[in-house]
Amino acid sequence: MENQAERRHAIDISSIRTISHNPGKEDPCLHVENLNLFYGQKQALFNINMVMPKQRVTAYIGPSGCGKSTLLRCINRMNDLIDGVRIEGKINLDDQDIYAKSVNVAALRRRVGMVFQKPNPFPKSIYENVAYGLRIQGINDRHTLDEAVEQSLQGAALWGEVKDRLNDNAFGLSGGQQQRLVIARAIAIEPEVLLLDEPASALDPISTLKIEELINELKEKYTIVIVTHNMQQAARVSDYTAFMYMGELIEFGRTTELFTNPVKQQTEDYITGRYG
Amino acid sequence: MDKKHIGQHISKQFNEELEDIRHKVLTMGGLVEQQLEMAMKAFKLGDIDLAEQIIQNDEQINELELIIDKECMQILALRQPAAFDLRLLISCIKMIPELERIGDKATRVAHMTVQLFNNDTGKRDDYYEVQHLSELVILMLHDSLDAFARMSLDGILAITEQEKVVNREYSAIVRQLITQMFEDPRNITRSLDVLTVSKALERVADMSCNVCEYVTYMILGEDVRHISHEEFVAVVSGRKGKE
Amino acid sequence: MIKQWFKSGSPWIWLNASAVSMSLILVVGILGLIAVRGLGHYWPSNVAHLQYRDKDGQMQDITGEFVDSNEVSAQRAKDAGYAATDIGDDLEVEQKLVKIGNRELNAMDFRWLLAKNIQKEEYPEALVVVERREYGNFYGFLVALKASGQIVANGPNVWEAAQKSIADTAQVFKEIKQLEKKEIGAINYALERLRLKQRSLELKNQWTDEAKKEIAAEKSTLQTEYQSYQSRLKQLYAKGNEQSLVFKTGDGHEVAIPVGKVVNAFQPNAMSVFTKIGHYFAKLGEFLSDDPREANTEGGIFPAIYGTVLMVILMAIMVTPFGVVAAVYLREYAKQGFTTRLIRIAVNNLAGVPSIVYGVFGLGFFVYILGGNIDQLFYPESAPSPVFGTPGLMWASITLALLTLPVVIVATEEGLSRIPKSIREGSLALGATKFETLWLTVLPMASPAMMTGLILAVARAAGEVAPLMLVGVVKLAPALPLDGNFPFLHLDRKFMHLGFHIYDVGFQSPNVEAARPLVYATSLLLVIVIVGLNLAAVTIRNHLREKYRALEG
Repeated sequence: MENQAERRHAIDISSIRTISHNPGKEDPCLHVENLNLFYGQKQALFNINMVMPKQRVTAYIGPSGCGKSTLLRCINRMNDLIDGVRIEGKINLDDQDIYAKSVNVAALRRRVGMVFQKPNPFPKSIYENVAYGLRIQGINDRHTLDEAVEQSLQGAALWGEVKDRLNDNAFGLSGGQQQRLVIARAIAIEPEVLLLDEPASALDPISTLKIEELINELKEKYTIVIVTHNMQQAARVSDYTAFMYMGELIEFGRTTELFTNPVKQQTEDYITGRYG
Repeated sequence: MDKKHIGQHISKQFNEELEDIRHKVLTMGGLVEQQLEMAMKAFKLGDIDLAEQIIQNDEQINELELIIDKECMQILALRQPAAFDLRLLISCIKMIPELERIGDKATRVAHMTVQLFNNDTGKRDDYYEVQHLSELVILMLHDSLDAFARMSLDGILAITEQEKVVNREYSAIVRQLITQMFEDPRNITRSLDVLTVSKALERVADMSCNVCEYVTYMILGEDVRHISHEEFVAVVSGRKGKE
Repeated sequence: MIKQWFKSGSPWIWLNASAVSMSLILVVGILGLIAVRGLGHYWPSNVAHLQYRDKDGQMQDITGEFVDSNEVSAQRAKDAGYAATDIGDDLEVEQKLVKIGNRELNAMDFRWLLAKNIQKEEYPEALVVVERREYGNFYGFLVALKASGQIVANGPNVWEAAQKSIADTAQVFKEIKQLEKKEIGAINYALERLRLKQRSLELKNQWTDEAKKEIAAEKSTLQTEYQSYQSRLKQLYAKGNEQSLVFKTGDGHEVAIPVGKVVNAFQPNAMSVFTKIGHYFAKLGEFLSDDPREANTEGGIFPAIYGTVLMVILMAIMVTPFGVVAAVYLREYAKQGFTTRLIRIAVNNLAGVPSIVYGVFGLGFFVYILGGNIDQLFYPESAPSPVFGTPGLMWASITLALLTLPVVIVATEEGLSRIPKSIREGSLALGATKFETLWLTVLPMASPAMMTGLILAVARAAGEVAPLMLVGVVKLAPALPLDGNFPFLHLDRKFMHLGFHIYDVGFQSPNVEAARPLVYATSLLLVIVIVGLNLAAVTIRNHLREKYRALEG
């Protein structure tokens, strides 16, 4: 009797541990080292250092204009498109400096997918939207494309809703569906990292929840970095949270810690709504 | 962490709600403290009227518990508080049952007083044994509520230190009572009464310590339950700088 | 009260609405005027036979159609040569314009008559109107049908016989035309090519005996073919000119008209309304599908329609890629700065340069410099006669393409700038290069804007006349620029154009009065052609717009 009770006790403890937000083993994926970014003369990011682990969700929070989107866009070199941007420091993706001269930017962006604030499907059919990235890589085999499209749509939890109208224009979908379509499009090329720039800010609460659920599923395969204005969302979906303010990384840590017991007063003020 | 801290939200309504909850908890704490004090006084003086009043007052404490519970739940649901706000609410939610149970203990003593002095016709006994203990415990409760009111860790260590004294005192009382009962079996009834009251007081001291733990959690964000006193001391003195 | 009314904004609404309705009325009015004046031209109106007392008091017989009438002051009437006795003491007199035709007898086609002096006005059913290949209309009474000088028919059945004869002869002439244009034209074209080949061989010093023999052989086959066609033609001409119609005019002259010269003969006074309607549409069809006659004042304007449409299409084909490529470079690749601003200003100003300047530039640069050099390099054999060194379809199209280039560039740039940044970023984030992004998403999405540019360009180009006169349009082109002879599209040929046709008919024709309805009809047609071209482009654009409907907001 006593033995049994003891064993039950032991089982209880272990099951509690798996439910809790305590992730297992973690490998680093993205290293940001001494990153400084300038728009012309104006410095936008100040000496950022952080390590984002593989297959985890890292959220960037902070007030508008704090540089969180800028930092996110550094990871797939989207900032290269803007005139007058100068970057110092390093970002390593699997120990390879993505700002090295030898890096092919298009190839890098295939490894680091990105989803934007507003759903931005192309004015094509649902099918062609998802197949776009593959076609660019020169894959035109119908069978391969069919398979990839189905898998990606399923991965983005959209297959059931659109499987009968793959050839319809993507603009016919609702906002939430469009955003999931864009996610499907991004994962169709099987990136390693997925960057989400406020992916749910233009959506209604239910669509937002679906996206959040999707993020939770996607992190099994991808390393996800998400920028969000919605602190509760960051708290819900992320494993790690970085709080940024005025271009500086104020605090970076496990989400559970950061939201219950932040180290820095600025973080505390921001997440409890005392900022300003 | 000073108490002005609550009043810095961008949402003024949130400020008011949090302040209101804190205020209600303090009111409840004050009420409980007063109950305990009155209960001990009634017990010592055999004041049945006072005891009756205590029993009646308990209703208010229960009601306050329900109100505060509900408000905390509403804030959790509507405001999704984080960090200190979250810890404040969680602490309140956990402190309230403790306070309510302290109130129950006071009522229990009051009931006993009524029973004792209804049957015993005018036989006064100042129960010198619990005199010191009750003073100690009431002080502990007061201090821990004071720590919550000030939102400060100052004096927290002193309170938990007090608990050891209370425990020693309690053991001494028990030994003394056993001796008395050995000496004269007629003392047994009285001794049992004293034991019950002492036991209640000892529990109140424990609960005050719990309140201190919640206050510590609220301020430091560190869970200090179920750790040794030395560790607790280390945590409190180590993190005090954060205040 | 009034102040409130002003505050409410309704005066503005009224003002705006009235401006819009004014514009609408103007547009509808212009179109209506052109339509009425132009379309009425082909209605077979009745022909009157008049007894008219002229200024000397002599009685005259006049046949003709009433065209116009107006009131003039007595003084002006006197100045115009009417007799003072006829005018009397009226302050104003009515005069009527009558088309009397019969140019070989009368000096003028038209004549003003004093309405008072028309003594008798009747509409005999037997009066015939003859449309001829030369000398304009003829009005008279049919007397007889002659063949080789002998009378074949007269009396009551002469009208049927004449109709049959006219139809038969028309058939013969159709065959002649076919022979001359197609078969003999092809032979001439082949002979010309042989001559050029020989010349080029001579120039290259390859004029060997073998080549000589070869060419001589080819030449002789062509010659024999030509001979056979020539004899056939002779026969046909003989047959066509065999018969003639004898008419008596209103004032008693007898005139013989060869049937071969007759296009059409009808008796308008004897026609019912329905036959008139049928006649009207037949004439309208002729107008649209026939070649012009008589210095463009008669017949159809088909070559002009053809030339206009072909030139506009060629221009569109040339201007679109150029404009789009330029706009894409300016907007997408060029570093935005002082230079691009300067270029944009220049492009916008180009749109404001008077079109004749483009014509001058086209003539000086394209025709003489470019064309001259092309001739020297590629067509040395045809010297001294130029191929591309002279105004032609290609230079006209290129000149207009240059003229409309700013419109296309501006519209395309506008379209490119309106494509949301998010779409580009979406594509780039999927690993597409800048070019792939442009080609696969941005350009298709900007295509409605390009079409808008093209619509504006077409509208402008189709209406341009001035530069064309310098770089390729002629009054009468001998051949269409697109035909059955290799290489089918002859970019070096000159062509006809509706706009120039209007100018030519309206101001350069020998008989401006007679040609005025034609000016209106041609104007209407030009408007219809432009509207048609635009509608086609607008339809395509709307289709594209629907397809590439971008995210709004």
